[in-house]
Amino acid sequence: MKQASVRIQAKDFSVQDEVDAVRAGSKRVGGIATFLGCARDFSDGQDVDSISFEQYAGMALTAMQALQKEALATFDIIDLRIVHRITTVQAGDQIVLIVVGAEHRGPAFDACRWVIDTLKQRVPIWKKETTPKGESWVTEHP
Amino acid sequence: MSVNVLFFGVIAARLGEHKRAVAISEGMTLSDLLVTVGCNDFKPLVLAVNQTQVKDLNRKLSSGDEVAIMPPFSGG
Repeated sequence: MKQASVRIQAKDFSVQDEVDAVRAGSKRVGGIATFLGCARDFSDGQDVDSISFEQYAGMALTAMQALQKEALATFDIIDLRIVHRITTVQAGDQIVLIVVGAEHRGPAFDACRWVIDTLKQRVPIWKKETTPKGESWVTEHP
Repeated sequence: MSVNVLFFGVIAARLGEHKRAVAISEGMTLSDLLVTVGCNDFKPLVLAVNQTQVKDLNRKLSSGDEVAIMPPFSGG
């Protein structure tokens, strides 16, 4: 079944499936840039056991769809897919994926960087880290 | 008249609740609401009314509005 190009989901995703979806969309794609965000086992000087994500349901997906629309209008790219998980993940697990297809690498890299940077600023999602000392909400987006 | 207030992240954790129905009076603003729900000292805040981000604290509220009181985002 064809999956939406912008999704929020609990389950894990396949990077290859998302890249293949961009390749299948247009034979004009000559370069694909990806950003894959994963859970780290160390943050702010502490070991991290797991990370839990919370979203403002509705607004978060709308904000991600608006990001896709803005990126497609701003950069010389052909396709863009964004997937973000909302669940509890362990160190090493996949969290977020950006896949950008363009004719050339420059716009693909530029758009990919812009989308992940802007997602962190505009999409109402929060992460809470569980460490040996307890739980703490992450208030920054480095 | 009332609005539905949603709290997220560290704000919800501090308040011990994720949502609250709050009675409003005619002309009540977002700024007034922050005082009413005890969030006026939380900074920085991100606010949304009916799922649209709002920066004007003088924005007047209407009955039935959904108001989200959020900490800065940290997804990704």
